[in-house]
Amino acid sequence: MSSPIQKGPILEARGLVKSYDEGRVQALRGVDTVIEAGEYVAISGPSGSGKSTLLHMLGGLDTPSQGEVYFRGSQLGTAVNLDQFRSQQVGFIFQAFHLLPTLRAVENVQVAMLALSQRGNHRAERAAQLLEEMGLKDRMLHYPNQLSAGERQRVAIARALANDPAILLADEPTGNLDTANSAHIMEILRGIQAQQGMTLVIVTHENDIAQSAPRHIRFRDGRVES
Amino acid sequence: MPAQLSFTGFAWKNLWRRRLRTLLTLGGITMGIGAFVALVGFSRAFEHEWQRLYTSSGTDIAVVETNFLATALNQDLDAKLEAVPVVDKVSPMIFNLIDLTPDVNALVYGWQANSYELNSLNFVSGSRFHDGQPEVILGNLLASDLKKKPGEMMTIQGAPFKVTGVFHGGSALEDGAVIMPLDQMQVISSMDGKVTAFHVRLKPAPAGENYDAYVKNGEKEIEAAVPGVHADPAADRAANNGLVSLAHSVAWGTSSIALLIGILGIANTMAMSVFERTREIGILRALGWKGWHVILLILTEATGLGVVGGLLGIVAGWGALRILASLPQTASVVSTAVDPQHFIEALLIAIASGITAGAYPAWRGAHLSPVEALRYE
Repeated sequence: MSSPIQKGPILEARGLVKSYDEGRVQALRGVDTVIEAGEYVAISGPSGSGKSTLLHMLGGLDTPSQGEVYFRGSQLGTAVNLDQFRSQQVGFIFQAFHLLPTLRAVENVQVAMLALSQRGNHRAERAAQLLEEMGLKDRMLHYPNQLSAGERQRVAIARALANDPAILLADEPTGNLDTANSAHIMEILRGIQAQQGMTLVIVTHENDIAQSAPRHIRFRDGRVES
Repeated sequence: MPAQLSFTGFAWKNLWRRRLRTLLTLGGITMGIGAFVALVGFSRAFEHEWQRLYTSSGTDIAVVETNFLATALNQDLDAKLEAVPVVDKVSPMIFNLIDLTPDVNALVYGWQANSYELNSLNFVSGSRFHDGQPEVILGNLLASDLKKKPGEMMTIQGAPFKVTGVFHGGSALEDGAVIMPLDQMQVISSMDGKVTAFHVRLKPAPAGENYDAYVKNGEKEIEAAVPGVHADPAADRAANNGLVSLAHSVAWGTSSIALLIGILGIANTMAMSVFERTREIGILRALGWKGWHVILLILTEATGLGVVGGLLGIVAGWGALRILASLPQTASVVSTAVDPQHFIEALLIAIASGITAGAYPAWRGAHLSPVEALRYE
């Protein structure tokens, strides 16, 4: 299913500035970073340091006030359509899971595929296969409020993988989980990254998770500290 | 096979999550479309029956003064009209809407006993009236309603009349009407020597000549020969006469208000829904849904409300028409046969209402910033 891994930079941020309130608040103050294809990167820093804002820009969810983001050398928002980028190249995982409450687990995974022209039976089969891989074979027809926090996050991971993205962006994926579930989710994410060679960028405030990543970017006051 | 999620299935689940609100919204649009089907259907049926009134008797042209309701022409113009070469027969007439009992009002016609229009009536019982006599004939619907038979007496405008016959006419309007001698009608209407209109039958059109063009030419000849009168094709008179115009105006006005309420109901529901689902829309955008996907989803929901409400409204409106057609007060002007085109129009209006009502909420949903929407509490 996965497309062949292309070597070289997959994401590049150049001089990213994000300001709010007519420039009085600056979330990012000139961020430059390059993420290689297949790399596993952790971004950590105190609350409000701008790490989630950077993740949103890398994923095309938000646009910078100044600077540019490049995907495989093409600028997001100009050469690369943001909607297509999000639907085809990126899978998002959020701290709050963000599952749709009216849909069953298997339907939540399919929602991501509705944006692409895929046949209904293909969508359903793909969703079922991903949930099975997440160990949720018996929970497919459950609604989010019938699932534990760890199960919900696993559904969210399945949803993020639905369109076979090149990049997984996870914003505090273990922030709402207990220790055992945190460890399980991290094991799944690392497994996916290792097996599929997927680019994985995790924003976390947990030191042990950040330090376990091969590359660790520390953020402070809207800038890369190290 | 695991449960498949389709786009319309997703829209349905969104609507069904707020069942009560969805049902109340459906109630609003059902009322609007039901009012349209019933009221506009009623007014169209009324116009249709009016047209049949002319066509069944073979009337081609109605000659009136200026306003069909208030018109008053001298009866002696009939000689001038009969002298017009294209004219075959002329029937001077008066008509009025009169209360016969506190519950029943009816169209009352004054015709001459030798009017060609009487030839189109089929007598169920009894026979024609005689000029100069206080006699009437009754349409079968009205006779049944009033429980009158030939030989019995009835009172109209305080004067006694003898029922000489009961007939079945060419239209429901005639079946619910009273017809009396023109001279008697002139007395009770205080229109001595006057008539409200002349119904004119033209000589047969020459072979190969277009009927409409022939009638048009007949109008010109009549207006040239008798200054001060309007000669209108019978079909136009049916569509444009004051009662039909009034019925159309009331029907469209009332339906429009009911439809507006229905549209505002859908708009409110969709606006509330988009507002409540701001974060969910942000999730969809984060998952790669394009703006037009969001627009399509919200419009599908709004149009779904319109379609279901429209179908329910059609059933309700048709039911109301059937009830009206069975009531003695309205049976003479409403037919149960409704043109399917009317239902198609109602459904199209319902769909258009859904799209109109969903347009702004859809636009707003599509223009939400994904990251702002995700932050929304």
